[in-house]
Amino acid sequence: MATTDHTAAVHETTVLERHELAAGVIHLSLDAPQLAGATRPGQYVMAIPPSAQTAATALAVYEAEGKRASLLFFVTGKRTRELAELRCGDRLDVVGPLGNGFQCMNNARDVAIVAGGVGIASVLLCARELLRDGARVRLFYGARTAELLVEAQRFADAGCELVLTTDDGSAGERGFITDALERARKPEAIYACGPTPMLRTVARIATELRIPAQLALEETFGCGIGGCWGCVVPLAGHSSQAPSFPPAVRGGSDVVYARICREGPVFLADELRW
Amino acid sequence: MVNVRPSLTTRIGQLELAYPTLMGSGCYGTGEEFAPFADLRKIGAIVLKSVTRLPRLGNPMPRIVHTSAGMLNAIGLQNPGIEWYLERELPKYSGRPCKLVGSVAGFSIDDYAYVTQRLAARSEIAAIELNVSCPNVASEGETFGCDPGLTARVVRAARAGTDKTLIVKLSPNVTDICAVAREAEAAGADALAVINTVRGMAIDVEAWHPRLANVSGGLSGPAIRPVAVLAVYEVAQAVKIPIVGQGGIETVTDALEFFLAGASAISIGTANFTDPRVPERIVAELEAYLARRGCASIDAIVGKANVGFATPHQYEGDEG
Repeated sequence: MATTDHTAAVHETTVLERHELAAGVIHLSLDAPQLAGATRPGQYVMAIPPSAQTAATALAVYEAEGKRASLLFFVTGKRTRELAELRCGDRLDVVGPLGNGFQCMNNARDVAIVAGGVGIASVLLCARELLRDGARVRLFYGARTAELLVEAQRFADAGCELVLTTDDGSAGERGFITDALERARKPEAIYACGPTPMLRTVARIATELRIPAQLALEETFGCGIGGCWGCVVPLAGHSSQAPSFPPAVRGGSDVVYARICREGPVFLADELRW
Repeated sequence: MVNVRPSLTTRIGQLELAYPTLMGSGCYGTGEEFAPFADLRKIGAIVLKSVTRLPRLGNPMPRIVHTSAGMLNAIGLQNPGIEWYLERELPKYSGRPCKLVGSVAGFSIDDYAYVTQRLAARSEIAAIELNVSCPNVASEGETFGCDPGLTARVVRAARAGTDKTLIVKLSPNVTDICAVAREAEAAGADALAVINTVRGMAIDVEAWHPRLANVSGGLSGPAIRPVAVLAVYEVAQAVKIPIVGQGGIETVTDALEFFLAGASAISIGTANFTDPRVPERIVAELEAYLARRGCASIDAIVGKANVGFATPHQYEGDEG
């Protein structure tokens, strides 16, 4: 995985644009030139709540270009609701860019990106980098309904081939996106972000196909920057991403808990022991 | 009158701090994680994450649940064990521009004695905090801190192994926190950290299971602040040793409550998860407050919660 960029900082940004892409799906563009310049695909920020009344919220950086960095998120609770109420011109302070993102240069010419729901927010920068590198990129994108299948056109415009699914069949095929992935032509590599059950299935498919998969994990964070060990995933002790721990023997294999926020959020599927 | 900048320096036992702010154990990593976002020169000390004699994998996920005005955690003392910690971790911390307090957790009196002695012997470590109050390790961890007699035995055993400042972190999950505080003081503690997290639970009402894998966790954040302020106030009247007040401190007003209740220093934990600039902001605003109130130093306000009463007031607790 790409190593952590030490240009991370607290950025005092201003909301340039706010769009509600669907009910409860918000896209905020921020005036944040340093953040935009420093962010690598798959990285995220901790958005500091303007009210200071709740913990900061981890949000993927969706776009990063010029002076503009954007955040795409679903309103799921108190913290995201507060961020959804921001308007153009409002101030939003964010900490980032954080985490080890996708390693996009791996010489694969035919790659699959798999996104479930809000996971789409983590993969646009990755898709663009792969396309720039000359790869053929198929986006497998699933959501509950057609309305929630936001931003698909932007990926098509960027040059991705789209495979869409919805739970209710209102757009694309009806069913899980991982079923579509299994039926499709075998890619050389997979990049994925979405709910944990989807990522587990992607990991299984990658193992069966014997191809590398990079998974961006979602989890409830405490601090979001590595200080609290509240967001962990069992990782093979031999992983280059394993934190400094003596191999703790569990179930006959070397496993350590790695921080999703610090060692991740992107991990190699075959090194996870979940 | 010459306008002198108020002094924020404070002493906790032999631990001299440039600022009266500590970063709570397990909330601030090793300091390195926060260094890009916070000026470590502007904090008094970092209390490092607790270390135990043997490596600990920690609890399964989920370990964190955000709740109204706070959060529950059940990390489970994940740490590499004292030998690995001394050999491979601690040397990396030597360049920190603030003091480092080592935190010791254990499952027997002997654990506390051994780990304290090994850790305190290191030059990187300025003081030791005894975590006798972790609520998240299958009943054993908090047993020590909930029993005044056991707390005394842990403190005596640790005391025998070091002359460095010993801070004992007290649990609020007790009937009488003052009884534990007095025993810790009598056994040789130099200071008390008041309070650790409050035990709590959250339930997923759709899935019908606890939201933490550990079932219960430690509640922190502003939800516990009034609990902590009262504990500091009561303990301050029960012992003579200094108190590090903690529990939901987010603003200078919160911090002032703790100093006035009797804390000589404060510890900031969960607020760092909201905004890593909180500690520096509190220090700047403390200084401004002291200047506005004509106080030469932070010591001038410690334990002054009752000064504002119109008539002399004797606090008698909640009895009767």
